[in-house]
Amino acid sequence: MGVVMPLNAETAQARTQRVVNEDSTDIALFVRSSQDDMTGWNRQRIVDALLRETFIDRGTAEKISRDIEVTIQAGKVKTITGPLIREMVNAKLLEMGLEEARRMHTRLGVPLYDVDQLLVQHNKENANVPHGPEATNLTLAEGIKKEYALLHVFSPDVADAHLSGDLHLHDLGFIDRPYCSGQSLEYIKKFGLNLPHALSMAKPAKHAEVLLAHMVKFAASLQSHFAGAIGWDAINLFYAPYLEELDDNGVKQLAQMMIYEFSQQAVARGGQAIFSDVNIYWEVPKHFVDVPAIGPGGVYTGKTYGEYEKQAQRFAWALFEVYKEGDAAGRPFFFPKPLVHITEKFFKTDGHMDFLHHICEVASVKGNTYFVFDRGDTAKISECCRLSFKLEASDLEDAKQPWKMRYSALQNVTINLPRLAFEAQGDDTKLFALLTEKIQLAAKAHGQKKKFIERLMSLGKGGPLSLLAMDLDGEPYLKLHKCSFLIGMVGLNELIRVHLGQELHDSDESIKFGLKVIAHMNIVCNKLAESLGMKFVLEQTPAESTAFRFAKLDLAHFTTDAEKVVQGNREKGEVYYSNSTLFNVGATMSPIARVEKEGLFHPLIEAGSITHIWLGEAQPDKEALASFVINVFKYTQNDQIAFSPEFTACLACGKTSRGLRETCPYCESKEVDGITRITGYFTKISSWNKGKLGELHDRYRNIDRFNN
Amino acid sequence: MTLFTTDDCVLCAQLKKQFDLSAMDVQVEVLGKNDAGALAHLAWHGLVERARKGLPILVLDDSSALHEFGHIKSQLLDRAARYGCGVAARHAGKQADCESGSCALQ
Repeated sequence: MGVVMPLNAETAQARTQRVVNEDSTDIALFVRSSQDDMTGWNRQRIVDALLRETFIDRGTAEKISRDIEVTIQAGKVKTITGPLIREMVNAKLLEMGLEEARRMHTRLGVPLYDVDQLLVQHNKENANVPHGPEATNLTLAEGIKKEYALLHVFSPDVADAHLSGDLHLHDLGFIDRPYCSGQSLEYIKKFGLNLPHALSMAKPAKHAEVLLAHMVKFAASLQSHFAGAIGWDAINLFYAPYLEELDDNGVKQLAQMMIYEFSQQAVARGGQAIFSDVNIYWEVPKHFVDVPAIGPGGVYTGKTYGEYEKQAQRFAWALFEVYKEGDAAGRPFFFPKPLVHITEKFFKTDGHMDFLHHICEVASVKGNTYFVFDRGDTAKISECCRLSFKLEASDLEDAKQPWKMRYSALQNVTINLPRLAFEAQGDDTKLFALLTEKIQLAAKAHGQKKKFIERLMSLGKGGPLSLLAMDLDGEPYLKLHKCSFLIGMVGLNELIRVHLGQELHDSDESIKFGLKVIAHMNIVCNKLAESLGMKFVLEQTPAESTAFRFAKLDLAHFTTDAEKVVQGNREKGEVYYSNSTLFNVGATMSPIARVEKEGLFHPLIEAGSITHIWLGEAQPDKEALASFVINVFKYTQNDQIAFSPEFTACLACGKTSRGLRETCPYCESKEVDGITRITGYFTKISSWNKGKLGELHDRYRNIDRFNN
Repeated sequence: MTLFTTDDCVLCAQLKKQFDLSAMDVQVEVLGKNDAGALAHLAWHGLVERARKGLPILVLDDSSALHEFGHIKSQLLDRAARYGCGVAARHAGKQADCESGSCALQ
């Protein structure tokens, strides 16, 4: 009979000891399989499993095993499988009213029909996962882990809230990992590539190409230990000491290698390219100016990073030259995402306008550039679709030894805002009370995930998270005490529409009420952070599939109300809620008005926000975009913007054209695929879920807004 | 006109003591741990980051904002005169100052 380890049925100590003692290979190799027949029947196995996995008494277990034996004999079954016996036992437990025992005795698995479908059809929950055997492995494993998480990691009230669509617990299929991470290249520059359980160990790189190889491999290792994005801070600056030996061609070659390495790594987890971000600065950030630079061989160069400004700029420039060219077919690179920090110091650094025009040209031609605004003394590391970690005083202290700078968000939980408005029925007090209740539940979910990860981390270097437990600098790679716990939101626009009868872009009153909702979330998060000692922060959830899932569930369970506000095309099933605090994607607004008004929400959402400017076929002048970016920095509160053009890639002739088309303008083939930004990254439209397809159709394109 | 303050802010306290703000038609918003309305109002004016650096902030009727204490005070003195409101005498000696960092949005 298959074995399910009832981790929550033991004390933590006993469980840890058993996990260490048991060899899961035995479990995999010697479980009773479907080849067993009745000659191997032994009802004692049922008794043993019930006693091992549940709290029922021996007498009851014996009785159940006898009843099952009678049923099987009466059925004259020729062959019997472990899963079938378990199902029969579970039915018996239910019949006897032993619900808790049935839950503990649950078998996690996937119906034959579902596996058949999964092997053939493309799972589009995440557009960054292609279709193939590795991807179906990923989906199947995720399916089991999702079930496990909902049964054994989260309490029934939290799991029910997720299943019903009050909340969304992100990346349940990666329950045994933190959500995402941001780090410094300095870690591998100083310690080399020295990973737990690796077959060989590499000393610190002596050449730029080797450092790149280390970076890519480390990123792949991190991808197997985090659910989401892997971000790198100040990448051009930290490469700088390795670039002195290279001429401009060499630097360009290195830039090309880096971008191709990350964009072509579709051979990692589930065939999924690493969701990678590189943070880029034109200036040397203030907190790195006086920091001693680490150079080839992990040795201090005798200079500070402040002295590497020109080398860092050469690399930044070269990276964007490569982005501008695109791949061999002229398509935009999907990864790594380049996040350029626009700061007060940026505008005081020589050559900034040339660089701004350069990156704006890339934004216009290919769309890659993300403009991250760090106003005043703000410093942050950005990643994922819009996540950012603001550097606090202790982080700036760590900056003196930059390899210590690593950040993680442990989990993301998103709240279905429109549903609160359905339930509140226009009553402000009820609305805010419900919102508070859901944030508290989200915090509870975070506490449960934290406890689970802590348990895995406590197994140390012999445990499943050995990479995160490695302590080359004296601290575990995953600094649990510094982790953030993200609380996201979906559908503020639809909440306002239900509650006030207007959308966010319709009136100042709508925006003001929207701000009150988000301010309330901010305040409740801060209070919970203080009382529970966990860093709860708001983030604009990327909600690639959550915006679709919530809309679909609300149409099913709050049909009358939801029908009035759900966006998209209901007939085609392409339904969605507006992402996080974003305004209606189809609202006719000037780009600056959208950036300004959406930006009012951003300072309340401390872990990251973005405004998208959909370009469609438009290709604005670099000067127009540069001027736009400067105005956004100076006159708005917006945290981050990105310009998103659209492309058509022809699968027949291999050429790429501007705009989304049904046929290739070069060869007239209908074998084409669209490319544009989904929620915070570029991808092929054929891999989008239905909700996002609905959104794509509705997007307002700023075709003539930049006077090109 | 709106004056954004916090309860712990010594500079804010000085202004509240010196001026009869309600008589001068100055709305006082206290940014605390419980008032989402005040925080939302601050965000509407695009002043959250500014408030994290320091309070008080005075938003004028044309929506422009003053954050220099001296400018705020001078603006309030003008308004008090226009409204015919009295101004309490300033304490002799040292000007109120925030050394603890409490005069900011936490």
